[in-house]
Amino acid sequence: MSTQKYLCMYRGAPSQNKPSPAQMQEMFAAFNGWKEKFKANILDMGSKLKPSGKVLTASGVTDGPFAEAKEIVAGFMIIAADDYEGAVAVVKAMPGMQMPGACVEIREMASV
Amino acid sequence: MRGNPGDGVRLTDIPNLSGSSDPSTGPQDSFAAGLVDHFFRREYGRLVAILTHKVGVRHIDLVEDAVQTALMTALTSWVAKGIPEDPGAWLYRVAHNHLIGALRNNAGRLRILEAAANELTVAADNPDSPRFDDEVRDDLLRMLFVCCDEAIPRDSRLVLALKTLCGFSTAEIALRLFLSEANVLKRLGRARAHLREVTPDFDSLPLQALQSRLASVHVVLYLLFNEGYLSAQSDRTIRREMCDEAIRLTTLLTEHPVGATPETFALLALMHFHGARLMARLDGMGGLLLLEEQDRSLWNQDQMRLGAEWLQKAASGETFTRFHAEAGIAAEHAFAPSFAQTRWEEIADLYAMLDRIAPSPLNAMNRAVAIAEWQGPEAGLALLKAIEPPPWLLGYYLWDAVLGELHRRAGHNEEARRYIERALASAPTDAERDLLRRRLASLEFALIPPGRRDSPDKVPRIASE
Repeated sequence: MSTQKYLCMYRGAPSQNKPSPAQMQEMFAAFNGWKEKFKANILDMGSKLKPSGKVLTASGVTDGPFAEAKEIVAGFMIIAADDYEGAVAVVKAMPGMQMPGACVEIREMASV
Repeated sequence: MRGNPGDGVRLTDIPNLSGSSDPSTGPQDSFAAGLVDHFFRREYGRLVAILTHKVGVRHIDLVEDAVQTALMTALTSWVAKGIPEDPGAWLYRVAHNHLIGALRNNAGRLRILEAAANELTVAADNPDSPRFDDEVRDDLLRMLFVCCDEAIPRDSRLVLALKTLCGFSTAEIALRLFLSEANVLKRLGRARAHLREVTPDFDSLPLQALQSRLASVHVVLYLLFNEGYLSAQSDRTIRREMCDEAIRLTTLLTEHPVGATPETFALLALMHFHGARLMARLDGMGGLLLLEEQDRSLWNQDQMRLGAEWLQKAASGETFTRFHAEAGIAAEHAFAPSFAQTRWEEIADLYAMLDRIAPSPLNAMNRAVAIAEWQGPEAGLALLKAIEPPPWLLGYYLWDAVLGELHRRAGHNEEARRYIERALASAPTDAERDLLRRRLASLEFALIPPGRRDSPDKVPRIASE
């Protein structure tokens, strides 16, 4: 049983791409297959994040985030793995990773 | 995806998992757990039809966007949370809400949309109100009749039907019709330009009032079938899929008084007879097999039986249309115990009838082929000599191929070679060139492949092979 947890952050602007219904069905099948294969690893499928939000600092609240579009966190999920190698394997197998420009940052969560 | 907290991550950003030019036919389809084949495509057509009827044809662009968004939302949400109990109702609700939002947004700029948005809002309290199957069917049929408006340029009608009713993307349509995507977009654009002008009173017309478009509907369905049946596309799955779509829509048409005519029945019979032989017609490499080369045991008996049933229904009235003649020819081939035992006399007669209903030198040519099988090559050649070929026919590869073949069988080797080489030079696809080369090489060939959609004869035809 994998004990380390990893936060996976998807970076970049959401693509404007419009898959066809037939492609969506194929994507659906591929993602379900991936999810089934790594069900022991996927602790939280996470979510997409809406493009804008709030940034709080000591001086107040502003609209954010301020990062460049390609650096903005667009979504996240939490997975379990024995080590980084295992975590990378899970994310690498995700169908979305074949997309040009796909970028996921994986960070081990420090255990308390 | 906005406003849907349950979204999974970036799922929707993947255009094409397989990297192939057409991912719709991959083996993955079969393990899209819990969803029937073509579920997304079918839902697209269903939702576009229902919502278009609800808010009016002139808003079809907004409807299509809303349906696309709903399917994308489903994709992410269903992966994360599983498929809901009633996926169709779920999709309808999401598409409906998106559409209201879009109509409201636009209403700020365009007064005219306000009415549509308000109208839809009335029903919004219960957007998943039950839809009876026959209501959905009627909305699908209405969409079909919308696509087949005579005022829409002919080239655009089939493309519009493939987009709205079958749920194919422009890229997928381009692949299936052997067009560039730019050309598909252009055709769609012309259709949409027309639809934007459709007035609200059109939407409240009963379906029956659209019956004057039935002939155009028949032509579009016939084209759709031929695009699968005669396609130069070598992918068998894609071809089958196109034929199945045509059969699905034609079957719908038979279920409503607006389309339940002997002509529709004959068209459906024709599709079933040809559909029964589709797979036996293609070799493993996507090449074409001649009728006499086909393994008759591979013909789909169930589909042949369906063809016979519809042909019988088609014979119930007084009408005898071109589809009756063509279905009759297809039936003769389907039920002939062997190539040699085919009733060529009947087939020749049916071609003569077809030629009277829809005069074309191609029908006369096909009749000559049947006569040649029946009475010998010289009799066929005599008939061909009596045809005054229009200029387009002289440059048409089938004309040369038939002349070449009959001359060869008659032992006129010189002429035979000349015609077949000319046919080779103008044959449109590799499959047909291969066929001609085999004919050149072998003494076995007999019949011709069907007239193709690129025939200058305009209305493509399903010939007898």
